[in-house]
Amino acid sequence: MAHVPFEYGLYLAAALFLIGLVGVLVRRNLIFVLASIEIMLNAAGLGFVVAGSRWGQPDGQVMFIFILSMAAAEVAVGLALALLYRRAFGSLDIDEASRMRG
Amino acid sequence: MNAANFVTSMPIVAVAVHDVVTLLPIIALIVSAVVVMLAGTFHTSHRLTVGLTLAGLFWTVAMIPIAQIRHDHQVTALLLLDDWALFFIGLLALTTAGVVLISYGYLARREEHPHDYYTLLLLATLGAAVLVASTHFASFFLGLEILSVSLYTLIAYPRLRADFIEAAVKYLVLAAATAAFLLFGMALVYAELGTMSLSALAAAHVTGGGAAETSLLVGGLALIIVGIGFKLGVVPFHMWTPDIYQGAPAPVTAFVATVSKGAMVALLLRYFRQVSLSPHGTVWLLFAVIAAASMIAGNLLALLQSNVKRLLAYSSIAHLGYILVAFLAVGRSAAVAVSFYLVAYFLTTLGAFGIVSELSGPEADADDIDDYRGLAARRPLLSATFALLLFSLAGIPLTAGFLGKFLVVATGANSRLWWLLVVLVASSTVGLYYYTRIVVAMYVQRPQDAPTTSRLLRVEAVVGSRAGGSVLVVVVGLVLFLGIYPAPLLRLLGHIVANLP
Repeated sequence: MAHVPFEYGLYLAAALFLIGLVGVLVRRNLIFVLASIEIMLNAAGLGFVVAGSRWGQPDGQVMFIFILSMAAAEVAVGLALALLYRRAFGSLDIDEASRMRG
Repeated sequence: MNAANFVTSMPIVAVAVHDVVTLLPIIALIVSAVVVMLAGTFHTSHRLTVGLTLAGLFWTVAMIPIAQIRHDHQVTALLLLDDWALFFIGLLALTTAGVVLISYGYLARREEHPHDYYTLLLLATLGAAVLVASTHFASFFLGLEILSVSLYTLIAYPRLRADFIEAAVKYLVLAAATAAFLLFGMALVYAELGTMSLSALAAAHVTGGGAAETSLLVGGLALIIVGIGFKLGVVPFHMWTPDIYQGAPAPVTAFVATVSKGAMVALLLRYFRQVSLSPHGTVWLLFAVIAAASMIAGNLLALLQSNVKRLLAYSSIAHLGYILVAFLAVGRSAAVAVSFYLVAYFLTTLGAFGIVSELSGPEADADDIDDYRGLAARRPLLSATFALLLFSLAGIPLTAGFLGKFLVVATGANSRLWWLLVVLVASSTVGLYYYTRIVVAMYVQRPQDAPTTSRLLRVEAVVGSRAGGSVLVVVVGLVLFLGIYPAPLLRLLGHIVANLP
């Protein structure tokens, strides 16, 4: 099996993280913002798996499972809030949420 | 085969039995959250749910002396329940008890199904307790997320108003994104160090002054600081604070301002003590800039506010800046100063938001400064309490806030942080102005014409305010007591800090 340097894995994770971050900043639809956050979290999870494989430890994968379950909890709350948001503001555009200023 | 299994599994079981004693405060929180949740399914009364929640919190506090008995405070690689962590778990639990009491009247006026609110509050406290005790990336992250996910729901709990939903969505998006920053930073640090222990991270920073500071470690640390800075709400990660403070229901704001921020401060201080052995390093300088920017921006932006909750939000940004000044100082007295300041800040913030909750009618929170005009004539006791708490926040003598600030300045002077102290003193003078503005509104100005009163609770329609009132009485008593006779608390804190590694 060809050996892949661990840096490549981190580059991939960083690229995914940036894609997610750009999504959070650019997207205006709440659902897509939540999906972009999911990409960021999974990028961090990939980073942990890569780091774990560098040291030959299972800890990185354990952290990945933690991140996965936390992201599931977060998205469950997020989607419930999206429903309430739709009802309160009549759309999922997050720019609507700008009633408070100062 | 069976025998072999038995032999290998034996030590694990033996350790676990001992650890249960150490873990009792955390277990107590978990059990009471489950009990309150189950009780809520049986159509119990609001009053019973509150009683069970309070019993759970006091039970948690009662478990702390038992957890202290054992000398081995480390439970697996994840949690360390030494005196420091236990003190803060007790403080967090008692503060939550205060939040529960001010929530009672607030929810009774506007919510038909308030039961799950208390379950979520207990779970959020559990997250904060795990955070305070964590020694490992995994427990740090889990504690933080238990706290955050509960908070998203708590902010939007009274579903009827768009403000709450807006605040919850903003908090969710920002908190989840910064959690991703934090995790990615942890992954980078783990890739570099090969360990996820927090003290190894602090130690690596101390030894790695030059060559060992690789780009992975620096990048990872920077990302972790983004995550921590967000939770503390310090400049430049403070943008969420005013919106969440204003948008969230007043009792939940009290919780965010105290428990959620305080847990992070307590955790950070434990490890910062190891880092600050090398003053004027990169991280030290970074935190100095954050502290100065928070004090200046917090106090100046608070001047522009006409909303009391927003004003308190900016003032809390400034207070976190004051706390960071003591962080940067060296030695035992710095840790004592931070923890004393934290106690004073918890008391006053809880009291201030308690008053906002007490005044809020069913339709909206009483957060406009116009709502407070001429309040002294209608609610003299409440106004006097609020004035005292604002003076404590401003740091007027004879209050706990003054002594906290005094200790911070004293430790800063010991460590010769002159320019930070100049910023502290100058910016808190500005702070005096906007705190006094509210007091003037209550005592000097006449109430405006009738329309704003629909936001305010009528005096005769007070429901459950005895619970909130009792919290205010205790808070006022403690603020004055600690301001006049702080020796017992200082002695306790000195003892706790002396036991820190």
